[in-house]
Amino acid sequence: MEAKLSMSKVTQEPIIEFKEVYKSYKDVAALRGVSFSIQKGEIFGYIGPNGAGKTTTLKILVGLIRDYSGELKINGEILTSHNLPNELIGYLPQDVGFQEWRTVDHALTTFGLLSGMKREELQQRIPEILELVGLSEARNRKIKHLSGGMQQKLKLAQALIHNPPILVLDEPMSGLDPTSRWQMRNIILKLAKEDITIIFSSHILGDVENIATTIGILHQGVVVKLGKPQDLKQELIGGEGVEIIGENLLEKVDEISILSSITSVESSPDNSSRIVVYFAPKSILEDALLELMSFFSTNKIVIRNFNYLKPSLEQVYLKYVNGGVIS
Amino acid sequence: MSFFLLFWDEIRGFIKSKVMITLWVGLPLLSIIMHFIQPETEGIPISIFTGLLVASIGGLLAAVMLSTTMVNELNARVYDLYLIRPVKRWHLIIAKYLAVFLCLTVATFLSLAVGLLIDHFTIGLPPDTVIKDTFESLALSLAAMSISCAAGILIGILVNSVALAAILSIYLGQQLSLVAVLPGIFFENISPLYFSLGIGVAVTIIIMIVEIIVFNKKQF
Repeated sequence: MEAKLSMSKVTQEPIIEFKEVYKSYKDVAALRGVSFSIQKGEIFGYIGPNGAGKTTTLKILVGLIRDYSGELKINGEILTSHNLPNELIGYLPQDVGFQEWRTVDHALTTFGLLSGMKREELQQRIPEILELVGLSEARNRKIKHLSGGMQQKLKLAQALIHNPPILVLDEPMSGLDPTSRWQMRNIILKLAKEDITIIFSSHILGDVENIATTIGILHQGVVVKLGKPQDLKQELIGGEGVEIIGENLLEKVDEISILSSITSVESSPDNSSRIVVYFAPKSILEDALLELMSFFSTNKIVIRNFNYLKPSLEQVYLKYVNGGVIS
Repeated sequence: MSFFLLFWDEIRGFIKSKVMITLWVGLPLLSIIMHFIQPETEGIPISIFTGLLVASIGGLLAAVMLSTTMVNELNARVYDLYLIRPVKRWHLIIAKYLAVFLCLTVATFLSLAVGLLIDHFTIGLPPDTVIKDTFESLALSLAAMSISCAAGILIGILVNSVALAAILSIYLGQQLSLVAVLPGIFFENISPLYFSLGIGVAVTIIIMIVEIIVFNKKQF
């Protein structure tokens, strides 16, 4: 339902389109009718619990899994085992090993040649890619001597070597230290500016929230929610909100509730000095705050503390994968 | 294009991982030791006996090496990075087979050449006998090793455990390789050269067809 709603809003042909894709491993259903579409230039964050089917979806997209039912279109063309769009897609797998006797340069040369590039092109391309991912100094080092973070960057480099317009990243931040994660985030954002369409899965919701332009939540093999991060958060809790600590606030809850920019007020009879106010989804934060402050001023209400409540993707995620229970 | 690239990549891998140098030094060294030990061969010429021994050890090494390498690389998901590119799955299999077979062929040839040279300078075999025996020994060796290589790959594709792959290769790989060698010894009226080559090629092709089908259907 969500997928259909999302697709109906778009005006241009999606670059990637999953329609009712099913996949089972023996008797276990991994995907149960996955449907979503991605527009050119989008950064699509694909989140869900372990075993939800994220990696399976991505492997179908890159052609590693061919045995599935449903329809997958890339650039408007239905994907089959005979028209795998290898040249269009770069893939960073989650758990993949390099043959460790290779050097960084040799690995990239091999994968570049296998992707159909010429040696002359690679002589120019490899330094560019290594510069982008921050591995220039490791060009002649053996892979077995690279750290986990450097190997992750090398995985990204091999995905980018043939300059694909679509990048599929399976847990790109996995196993990275905070600095490397920050670098990886920046690289992804930089690539998106070059009009590369990116689909990535991650367990680190903060990264997804910061990077993704669209988010798909996968749960038990079904995409249960699709949308832009801000829209999802607003839909969940009715927009942004503030926690207010003041005097006798409980008595004014009804009056605050009818202010034009307010959508709801949470209060507790046990604590008369604390309320939480949520603004209407379409309201402008500055105007809403001004209206609220004006109300307090007019009614001579003393405010001691004022905390802006930033809605989090974690709340949205938990709602859809945790049976509606938000911890 | 991708096939030749994969083949040379495998060869390069053997060189870099010291597998090739171990075979190219180890098997000729074995041949030297055999000639100095002079074992009781029950009438089999020493050069053929050496060929059989090299085939047996070389084939065993090939089967174990290929099966364990395949299991390791499949478990480490090494092939994912190949299969997301315009690389045919059967190219991966054939390239690996040919690379190992070529390495072992050279190692076998070296070991026989070394043995024959020692024979020539120690017991002075006539040149025509030497050449005939050399060809027959090479045929036996190559046919047996070809089957072992193919069996090693098949085992590597079918099992997930390195230990199991090694055990199966030692038993199954070696038994299969004897298919090409044994009739040439027990039946005097057939030419070991042509029989071994024929059986070796036929059995190898059958095993490789099976493993290509299995590899094509494998989930990655």
